[in-house]
Amino acid sequence: MGLNDPGSTVNAPAVHTEKGSSLELQAEKSGLQPGGLFSGQPSFLTTKLESVVNWARQNSLWPMPFGTACCAIEMMATAATRYDLARFGMERMSFSPRQADLLICAGRVSYKMAPVLRKIWEQMPSPKWSISMGACASSGGVFDVYSMVQGIDTIIPVDVYVPGCPPRPEGLIYGILMVQEKIRNSAATSESVWGEVDDLPESGSSLPREVVDAITAPFGNSTNQNRASGLVSTGAVVRVSDRRP
Amino acid sequence: MTDPSSFKKGLEGLDQGPRPSEAAEDALPPQAGELPPHPSVDALRARFGDAVLRHEVVAGDEHIVYVPAERVLEVLGWLKDEPAHRYDFLQDLTAVDYGGGRQIQVVYQLWSIPNKLNLRVKCELPISALEIDSVYHLWRASDWLEREVFDMFGVVFRGHPDLRRILMPYNYAEGHPLRKDFPLRGRFSRAEQTRRALAQKTEDHYSPMELEIAHVLGQPVPDPFDGGETGAQQGQFGGMGGGG
Repeated sequence: MGLNDPGSTVNAPAVHTEKGSSLELQAEKSGLQPGGLFSGQPSFLTTKLESVVNWARQNSLWPMPFGTACCAIEMMATAATRYDLARFGMERMSFSPRQADLLICAGRVSYKMAPVLRKIWEQMPSPKWSISMGACASSGGVFDVYSMVQGIDTIIPVDVYVPGCPPRPEGLIYGILMVQEKIRNSAATSESVWGEVDDLPESGSSLPREVVDAITAPFGNSTNQNRASGLVSTGAVVRVSDRRP
Repeated sequence: MTDPSSFKKGLEGLDQGPRPSEAAEDALPPQAGELPPHPSVDALRARFGDAVLRHEVVAGDEHIVYVPAERVLEVLGWLKDEPAHRYDFLQDLTAVDYGGGRQIQVVYQLWSIPNKLNLRVKCELPISALEIDSVYHLWRASDWLEREVFDMFGVVFRGHPDLRRILMPYNYAEGHPLRKDFPLRGRFSRAEQTRRALAQKTEDHYSPMELEIAHVLGQPVPDPFDGGETGAQQGQFGGMGGGG
């Protein structure tokens, strides 16, 4: 996500050291470009800082539970004693979007509810991530009808999709762990990273119209099958062992 | 009707297990072909002879009376107020579209609390003339039920104080979804539906400040649903034009 931007210009180095210092020579040899702390250019300082910041962010996610339907029950079960989201740092479910950084959309979203979801997402301050929990939030689920949004990724950007109807609490926890992995691998200190999240088109879908039509077209068992079913290659990552990623 | 002591008596001895029913030994369910009589239907026939078009019994004991649309207010008002019948509870108000261009039936499901009687009253409306009187002043429950029938079928209830969409968004322009000629996925593309959904104004309540300002200035309260482009595009498939 913009760790090595080829197009960005190099700012003037913030630290002036002698040319012959071993650190400078090593940095030049490895091809890294000097830059300020928040320019997105990696340096030995920022990697340590990023890992600390990312560790703090991933282990203190405050979810905004956007539970609309049945998946909300499973989200409540995940937060309850047996599966316990508090051990992942989600001690406080924030119902105010201003104080949350993870939006968990649990349940089907109707077109009447879509602007509300959009407004809640826009009210969350950066950095923010979103989980689409369940089949209805990911693709419309069983409700391929006139009134249901066919996947909330046409409304807000989604980081992790958790399939299921409803997903088991273990499934939701796995999705949360994937968000944590995404945070771990992100450039925490780059302003350009968070800029693209805030640039949603005003009162419009986050995707162009052709993409919305393509991904919401009926497929599978619908009478109008116009998408390949069966074994198609996707870009999914193959995990040899399905332990903690 | 039931005093508390008889209720408590019924709870005695329940820990001993289920006991045989207290119904009469020879009380069998009605045999096939035997229609249990309904007191209100005969009284209706006696009072409004020609207004009772048809009388059906379905599922063994559910009585349905068909009434022409122009007499429905009169008939339902009589059913509600007549002391012997007193249908004071409107259980449901809905509609059915049987498809094929047939008439749409508006269904009134009535229940009499003192007499413990069910009655279903149906009115058939041609699709070209979907208008009927509102029973808002008889049963307040019809407030939102008639709004739902209007939203889903397009039936206009004359005399309803606030007839507007209730389930679909206020700027919904694809028509009335539960009609049989309405396609399952709607008439617009998903991209267009998404765009229109996100174009809704979510603040459909007046803020207290707006209300107070209008009150102080003596001005009429501004209409929250006066969308410029949405008003023009409404009514394309028969939806209600203009704001609520």
